[in-house]
Amino acid sequence: MFKILKSLSKSLTGHKPATEVKKPAEAPKGGVLNQVAKGNAAPAAPAKVKTPEELCEITPKMSKDEIRAQLKLLYRRFNRSASSLDAKVRGEAETMLNAIVDVREKHFGEI
Amino acid sequence: MAEYVGIDLGTTLSGLAYLKPDGNPEIVPNSDGERLTPSVVFFDSHEDVKLVGSAARDGGEPDRTIFQIKRHMDDPEHLVEIDGKKWTPAEISALILSKLKRDCSKICGDITDVVITVPANFNELARKSTIAAAEMAGMKVKRLVNEPTAAAVYYAHSQGVKGRILVYDLGGGTLDTTILEVEGDNIKILTSEGARHLGGSNFDDILLDAYAEQYKKQTGAALFSDERHRRRVLQATEDAKKMLSKLQRVNDTVANDQNSGIARIDLSREHFEKLIRNMLTRTVFLVEQALDSAKLKTSDIDHVVLVGGSTRIPKVKVILEKMFGKVPKSCGNVDECVALGAALFAKKSAKIQEVCNASYGTLAMVYNAKTKEEKLMNSIVIPKNTPIPCSRTQVYQTSEDNERIIEVDITQGEDPDAKYVDVIGRITLDVPAGRPKGCEIAVTFSYDENQRVRALIVDKQSGRSKEVAVSYKGAGVLSDEELKRRSAHLRAMRIE
Repeated sequence: MFKILKSLSKSLTGHKPATEVKKPAEAPKGGVLNQVAKGNAAPAAPAKVKTPEELCEITPKMSKDEIRAQLKLLYRRFNRSASSLDAKVRGEAETMLNAIVDVREKHFGEI
Repeated sequence: MAEYVGIDLGTTLSGLAYLKPDGNPEIVPNSDGERLTPSVVFFDSHEDVKLVGSAARDGGEPDRTIFQIKRHMDDPEHLVEIDGKKWTPAEISALILSKLKRDCSKICGDITDVVITVPANFNELARKSTIAAAEMAGMKVKRLVNEPTAAAVYYAHSQGVKGRILVYDLGGGTLDTTILEVEGDNIKILTSEGARHLGGSNFDDILLDAYAEQYKKQTGAALFSDERHRRRVLQATEDAKKMLSKLQRVNDTVANDQNSGIARIDLSREHFEKLIRNMLTRTVFLVEQALDSAKLKTSDIDHVVLVGGSTRIPKVKVILEKMFGKVPKSCGNVDECVALGAALFAKKSAKIQEVCNASYGTLAMVYNAKTKEEKLMNSIVIPKNTPIPCSRTQVYQTSEDNERIIEVDITQGEDPDAKYVDVIGRITLDVPAGRPKGCEIAVTFSYDENQRVRALIVDKQSGRSKEVAVSYKGAGVLSDEELKRRSAHLRAMRIE
């Protein structure tokens, strides 16, 4: 494994890997700079209101351990976003934190 | 002169402690006879005076009263305008610190060097702002120490315990959880996790909404129409919250300032706990995050220690007891132990091993030869929980032929996904022309005792290098000259 420096300003230009590689994940619209700088914490605005499970990407097939791990991952991410200076990111984080708590209570009971 | 002084610059309350000759810390009261000073500043319109503390909190002009400025210490754009002058959060905090310094030095002697506590997850700008505030108030910051660390130092000192301690610090504005090991006088911090905007004032806001809803239901009118009245009701909700830590039920009456009638509020502890359950569940997530971060289980923790006024809420103790299977302990007055611990820390800092509060790294395309996949990732150079001071290096490769300028973004955060970390700075380095891609660049991050970061990049082929102290693009950080000018201005002010 090797690591190639990629600053935000250069991340959408230039680099081609030395050997044939699978296509990397498509860069988000508005550029990586935009996405990283603004946190872009929550999923894109939903067409309909998503349930807490949908927001947390919890599927019926997931085991309890998988749900727990997913909630922990999301909590770490959105707890961080909750202190962003960007009010929009904070608002999205708040929505996600509420959803995370709802899913926890539904699957593991109230504290 | 007071040699070892610690200050807890809190969101809602601040306190100063010093170390007595017998080695025990003591809180120094302010000139109003209070052991803790509300972190509130009032700018009087009649006299050129700034009131700090209870007098400021109890005044009636919300437009001229500043509450909870600590929540904005990391916001370079947050300015408070009073009578045409714009005040930064650091300047407002400096007024609070000036009050503490002036009042307390009358009792414990001149105060010059201090240890100040900050939330564990305070970022670089908030830490710099805190140091600037102290300097404006005429004090030199020997060290910044994380609040739960200070509380744990006091707990270990006063209780003589050893083993693994989890500190649950739920204050007015933030929650911090720290796990540490104590062996005699030696303390080793294992990890700290924090949640901003999760504290007693959030519970007050939730209660305020409940009051407003009840008022609307009973009278059909809005409970408040301006900030002045909202503040008054907020104070009533805070009082009710405190009562519910002692009683099962409280009754209150509230009215708006439009003569719309009186509403009776009947609030049970059970209902209050239900209202704040979402917030308390979040605190459980944070405790679990701290345990995961230190790779520990609940059974590995020997003592659970409560710090911060909001831990007086009985449900907090119930939750933690259920989680750990042991009764959580408090170290005396939960509001004072951070300042007391800071005074102890001022003397014992050499025996306390702290860790990085966050991971620091850079953005890199990581190519995996095995899977032949590449991905833009947060490549961590210093992992969270590395003992400090520390320095770590990682070697990267340039991405393009004839690359003339190397750009290294500095990230803060643990997530491997670049979308979920903060980019807190960038270093650029000019390198010679005509080189192929793949040249090696060494990236070194250093982390000092005050949790501040420096970054060094070295082009291994040409030997060219550049080092910077990581700052948030300079925004919100005062120059030395400006700091000196504002310090002189502040020292001439009348602060009561």
